[in-house]
Amino acid sequence: MGRNAVRSSQEHGCSLVSPGSLVFKPIKVSSSVLKAAAHHYGSQCDKPNKEFMLCRWEEKDPRKCLEEGRKVNECALNFFRQIKGNCAESFTEYWTCLDYSNLAELRHCRKQQHAFDSCVLEKLGWERPDLGDLSKVTKVATSRPLPENPYHSRPRPEPNQTIEGKLEPAKHGSRLFFWNW
Amino acid sequence: MWGRWSAATVFLYQRRRVSSGTSLACFGGGWRKMAGSKVKQDMPPPGGYAPFDYKRNLPKRGLSGYSMFGIGIGIMVFGYWRLFKWNRERRRLQIEELEARIALMPLLQAEHDRRTLRMLRENLEEEVVIMKDVPGWKVGESVFHTDRWVTPLSEELFNLRPREELLHKRFGFLWYV
Repeated sequence: MGRNAVRSSQEHGCSLVSPGSLVFKPIKVSSSVLKAAAHHYGSQCDKPNKEFMLCRWEEKDPRKCLEEGRKVNECALNFFRQIKGNCAESFTEYWTCLDYSNLAELRHCRKQQHAFDSCVLEKLGWERPDLGDLSKVTKVATSRPLPENPYHSRPRPEPNQTIEGKLEPAKHGSRLFFWNW
Repeated sequence: MWGRWSAATVFLYQRRRVSSGTSLACFGGGWRKMAGSKVKQDMPPPGGYAPFDYKRNLPKRGLSGYSMFGIGIGIMVFGYWRLFKWNRERRRLQIEELEARIALMPLLQAEHDRRTLRMLRENLEEEVVIMKDVPGWKVGESVFHTDRWVTPLSEELFNLRPREELLHKRFGFLWYV
């Protein structure tokens, strides 16, 4: 079943995506690390993230959004480099505390969170976003034009022509089965 | 017969009188003893017993019914207030956790896209190798009539990999059975 259903190279290969563009440096961190840094990451790397998501939503095609994805990757790498360079110990304590429980609940690690937040604030000037700030709807300014026909739908049929002439009601009614009105 | 009856009545009368005499003795009388016998009996102390309460004593005490209802309802209202406050706090915590997910979604989506495209590329190259002797086979031909992006199925992506990778993709994060 799989052998018949592979994407064609013309579609995702040479014309759009070269194998070289898929070579990225992955961010090798675990989920607790990501969750610990999530709020600051959301406020710092906001612009490339939102651009990528907008591109993905509009184009509905991952192959067209690889450039924005590259920017997301770079921003994330820079972000983690900065944290590692400046606030490594408090960050390590914070994410190890989160890692302790299965669900990684943020409310059990408030002390370490305050320590990490104050360290980041004094060294890098980052503020933790308030509750509800990350879920606000944002407007993104892009230079990419809006795609037309993102679903590649066939041309729609033309509407019916307008009927010329005077229209009269039917002579014997609708004539559906036995109704004569 | 008359004599016997009268003697019987006199006997009974005397009997009754003697019993009344002894009851008077209980109250400290003692002026009438059974005729002819000096028996040591358990008698009340001289001067009689002290008076004691024998009437019912059911004092009205405790809260009234209304106040008991009031206390119960008050405790319930306090419990509800505490519950609603905690629920609001839980909602704030839930929003915080969801925001963490929102913040991380572009990163995870981008990595997932790249991974999918990379796997499709590898599958394509394998297909070229496998099907090179089959006549009339167009490598990488789409099974759909459209040319837009169709999200590949997991089975299709993991076709040439060990089965446990597909199982991990499908069921790795499943908590329930």
